[in-house]
Amino acid sequence: MPEELIETIKKEFRNLILDGTVSNNETYLTVKKDAAVRICDYLHHTLDFPLISIFATDDRAKDGCFKIHYVFSCKGDVFIIIKIKVEETTPRFATLTHKIPAANWYEREIQDMFGLAPVGHPDPRRLIHFEDWAAGLYPLRKDFDIRTKPDRVKGEYTYRKVEGEGVYEIPVGPVHAGVIEPGHFRFSVAGEPILNLEIRHFYTHKGVEKLFESVSLDKAVFLAERISGDNSAAHAVAFCQAVEKIAGIDIPPRAKYIRTILLELERMYNHMGDIAGIATDVAYPFGAAHANYLKERVMQLNEKVTGSRFLRGMNAIGGVRRDIGDKKDMILKELDLMQKDFKELMELLFNSPSVADRIETTGRITGEIAKGLHVVGPAGRASGIDSDVRRDHPYAAYSELTFKVPVLKTGDVNARTRVRADEVYESMALIRQALSDLPHGEIRTELKTIHDGCALGYSEAPRGETLYWVNISNNRIERCKVRDPSFCNWLSIEYAVLDNIVPDFPIINKSLSLSYSGNDM
Amino acid sequence: MFDILIKTLRTGRVTSKYPIRQDIAPEGFRGKPELLPDKCTFCGECARVCPPGVIWLTKEKGEEKLTLSFCGCIFCGMCEEVCPGGAIRLSQEYELASKTKDDLLTIIRRSV
Repeated sequence: MPEELIETIKKEFRNLILDGTVSNNETYLTVKKDAAVRICDYLHHTLDFPLISIFATDDRAKDGCFKIHYVFSCKGDVFIIIKIKVEETTPRFATLTHKIPAANWYEREIQDMFGLAPVGHPDPRRLIHFEDWAAGLYPLRKDFDIRTKPDRVKGEYTYRKVEGEGVYEIPVGPVHAGVIEPGHFRFSVAGEPILNLEIRHFYTHKGVEKLFESVSLDKAVFLAERISGDNSAAHAVAFCQAVEKIAGIDIPPRAKYIRTILLELERMYNHMGDIAGIATDVAYPFGAAHANYLKERVMQLNEKVTGSRFLRGMNAIGGVRRDIGDKKDMILKELDLMQKDFKELMELLFNSPSVADRIETTGRITGEIAKGLHVVGPAGRASGIDSDVRRDHPYAAYSELTFKVPVLKTGDVNARTRVRADEVYESMALIRQALSDLPHGEIRTELKTIHDGCALGYSEAPRGETLYWVNISNNRIERCKVRDPSFCNWLSIEYAVLDNIVPDFPIINKSLSLSYSGNDM
Repeated sequence: MFDILIKTLRTGRVTSKYPIRQDIAPEGFRGKPELLPDKCTFCGECARVCPPGVIWLTKEKGEEKLTLSFCGCIFCGMCEEVCPGGAIRLSQEYELASKTKDDLLTIIRRSV
């Protein structure tokens, strides 16, 4: 299947493909710079492969060029990466956004971080840099020193304007009530319904991708773990898998199963927490209290099993650091109790007219929008996008376990809540299977040497597809591109709120469960 | 409505009486790292692997000093994992709040 696929693409664009290499399940095709849009358009619209990331690398030291990679997720556990070279003297490339809307933020990110301009981009404003950041400073270029503290300059940010009789703007944030991170939301309303929402983020850019380039591989796992605090296990696993793929390590089966259990525990507590948040926002405090209690029980279980409520410090390159086999009985017992409680709670929640009234038809994201923006995770699956990394690109022990991927079509808050509830049952079933089939043996393979190379690591975090592209050169990280699910999903909120009333915004926001930290790292 | 009442009454109170009554962290908890001076060989392996870099091995005036700061500690347990003599272990202690930064340092010394 992969070979045929590559042949089809090569036949279609014979003279435009300069070079092709295959490593593991990734096919890298270097194409002519001006052909990238055509080829990506063909992959996305004709072959129906979602664009899952675009990122740049600074290879000037090697061959005098920057490179831009377009990553596509294909059927049959294959990734196609289209590569173009961009010369330093002509730091421009043609935009893909008008063909594939999902390219929007990636291209603006590349513009800010590498100084390569997407020509023809419908919204060429800065994305990550603020107006006080001096022009011509591009942090991810290799000649930018991580310790640089640039002087602030004067500048202005222009918001999209909605004008008309009776149209008002409501600015919300960046500082919010409650312990959440900063983000600015600018609503344009006429009466109650929302006409337009513009979100502005990236208030706390931490330079994580740059930081990766200066830490050793062992320490980098802990950095990955802290990118999005409540998706720690998924990030750590994705990073470790990328490095293991480069090193050609096959981790012990027992470690694969333990990783699976950790990832599912993480999914359980996140989904329960999200359901609690939705219940809070629809003024159903009974449901919120119980869902929060269940979440806390999973977190206490995490603590007993791994020593960390957030499952941190468990993953390492080559496997896991602690065995959890002796906790099997305790986990199974607690799962049974929780499943009973969770089922009772979900029946009460979904049968409550006051809840249904607030969540049905609220915050609808159509399948078309979700596909165009590449909305991932439960939010995508609630809008009819039938994708799940665990099934489509199996990792850890998922290929040996059976599970269903719940998909709904309506795309409203109700669907997103139900997808999460269904996934909690699937997670519980997966943990039971993994515990009963837990293989014996080692839990970690030692990483002795690692040759130069690059690879994709991926996992299905509670929020969706999490992607790491790691490039190793001389035992150190040359480039680590992190693509958190929230980076894909944030833009969908601008569509989800349209024609909804302002008081429903918190529920819509909660139902999408977007991370500020994972988005802006 | 009746269902909600039944579930609420059946669940009862779930919060603990902390801090009036001490909550003991489970075994294997990744708490405050403890240094055991009589086992430490001052090899500096812990300082080398510490991801946030909050362990320092210094030499001054004929004295070797190992300092561990809890300010930036991420409780990953790498120090515990690499220590050849078992001189560092993560404890079940989690109450680390303090009014002074000095309270957040653990220092052990030996003269050379």
